[in-house]
Amino acid sequence: MTAIPLDRPAKVAPKRAASPWRIAPWLYLTPAAATLVLWIYWPLLDALRLSFYEWNMLPDSPMTFVGWQNYVNIFALPKFWQALRNTVTYVIGLLPLAVLIPLAIAIYTHDLPARSRNIYRAIIFVPMIIAPVVAAAVWRWLLDPGHGMINETIGLFGFRPVRFLQDPKIAIWTIIVLTGWKLIGFSTLILSAANANINPSLVEAARMDGASRWEIIRDIRLPLLRSTILFLSLMTILLGAQWSFSYIHVLTGGGPLGATTNIFYILWDFGFSTLSVGWSSAAAIILFLGFGALAFVLFRLMDRYSFHDN
Amino acid sequence: MTTDVSLSPALPGVARSRTRRRAQSASRLNTAAGHAVMVLLSIFCLFPVYWMIISSLRPANAIFETSLWPTAASLENYAYALNAIPIGAMLVNTLVVSVLVTVAQLFTGLLAAYAFARWRFPFDKLIYTMIALTWLVPFQVVMIPNYLLVANLGLLDSLAALILPHFAGALAVLLLAQAMRSFPAEVIEAARMDGAKSWRVLWEVITPNLRGTIASLAILIFISTWNEYFWPLLLSRTPENSVIQIGIQMFMTSEGTAWGPLMAASTLASLPILAIYIVLQQQVIQSFMKSGIR
Repeated sequence: MTAIPLDRPAKVAPKRAASPWRIAPWLYLTPAAATLVLWIYWPLLDALRLSFYEWNMLPDSPMTFVGWQNYVNIFALPKFWQALRNTVTYVIGLLPLAVLIPLAIAIYTHDLPARSRNIYRAIIFVPMIIAPVVAAAVWRWLLDPGHGMINETIGLFGFRPVRFLQDPKIAIWTIIVLTGWKLIGFSTLILSAANANINPSLVEAARMDGASRWEIIRDIRLPLLRSTILFLSLMTILLGAQWSFSYIHVLTGGGPLGATTNIFYILWDFGFSTLSVGWSSAAAIILFLGFGALAFVLFRLMDRYSFHDN
Repeated sequence: MTTDVSLSPALPGVARSRTRRRAQSASRLNTAAGHAVMVLLSIFCLFPVYWMIISSLRPANAIFETSLWPTAASLENYAYALNAIPIGAMLVNTLVVSVLVTVAQLFTGLLAAYAFARWRFPFDKLIYTMIALTWLVPFQVVMIPNYLLVANLGLLDSLAALILPHFAGALAVLLLAQAMRSFPAEVIEAARMDGAKSWRVLWEVITPNLRGTIASLAILIFISTWNEYFWPLLLSRTPENSVIQIGIQMFMTSEGTAWGPLMAASTLASLPILAIYIVLQQQVIQSFMKSGIR
């Protein structure tokens, strides 16, 4: 056996370096790459093209080139700015649910016995695997102003029923909490895992030095959890508004009075309610570029500020 | 200081037991409070699912009851739901789509990951990044062009249209590439020495050794495909050719909601996933955690 590598050193090396245009890797890559090009990159370009046209998606209706008009119209639309403001509200509202509360829970339950911790873990993870449309349907039932379980309970205490999804002031917060419902378990698990990875001797050392519980959290746990916290915040900022999409679609349709609409939802609304391909595509491109720039900045920041544990 | 403490088992017995005792009583209090928090959180997370199942069992005249246990359980909501829409066909469709998508993504993912792990080739880093970036493209941005593409292919209202866009997934490629990169190179080399071609190395040497990663990836892909809603919603025309998540939405109309049948359909749509979760709980949690957010 040992003799063989000596026999063919020339053959081992070129495998990696030489013959740059060998065909094998490309063959292996083709099915996946072709799928992603066909269903993601090509459509992205197509959306860019369609954003300069006015068209209602019917095959035999005319496609009119309108240049930048769709973009101009969208920026002049109060609904767009409302959706943008709401998108920011969604992200800010979700951050405590997706990061802060899970962080507190993860640190607080760190010392629970393994057995009960595993049971809790299993339970709080259930919302994560439930289909978004199922979750939306069930919450719609629980929050129903007439007969929903939650309003019945509120009624028992003598309060007036809350119109969770019909009151423009409350509706967006209802959707945020429902989106958070699906996320808490996931974030808690990620943070618990990161927390459990912290070397116990660090904590023990601080305790010996007389550090209080809070000091240990502030000076040891939080700094060591920083990259995980940043990661979850970054995900929430980039994807949070998208996660609420199913709830908006099933529960409020963006209403009342546009109070719960967000940037992802108006794309859907333009595209498939009013069948305005140009508007929807222009909004899609604005959104893609906006979030792309945001992602770029955030990834840069994350690289700079995350803690690299050696 | 740190070195002192890592040797703590060697500390004199008295000092050690005193700090231990103090730590113990503090942690007992902490434990009780921790349990209280976790129980509340568990109720918040589990109650809606419980309520869905309980409501689905309430007969029509008792659907508005708020007792935590149904006074009279019946399956009439299920009978109604099964009559109203072809739930059986929808469940079969969902299963077919989910299984095929899972197999396809694993297959294309293994192939692509192997290319990245085994060879250096021009633009390999760039292509890898481009695959990773697809994950940042929201569904809503590409939905209209994709819809038009499916329409042009004449595939509206077909299961093929639900499968094709998911024939490959960034997540599968990235996770498998990561797993393969940490695969011991000597094993691959040894197989090559024995004259195995790259195709055989992939399927007979690497794949069997990645069973763990493949299994958790399969769980993840299956669950997310089963739960998918918007792409089928765009494409479905007839209930017979659609998936179960679309069935749920059919009981929520602008004229009013049939709560009992809606909860029955929701329960049917969730049962397979819940069953997988109850059996494979640790693996499901692991697979989600490994993958980041989905």
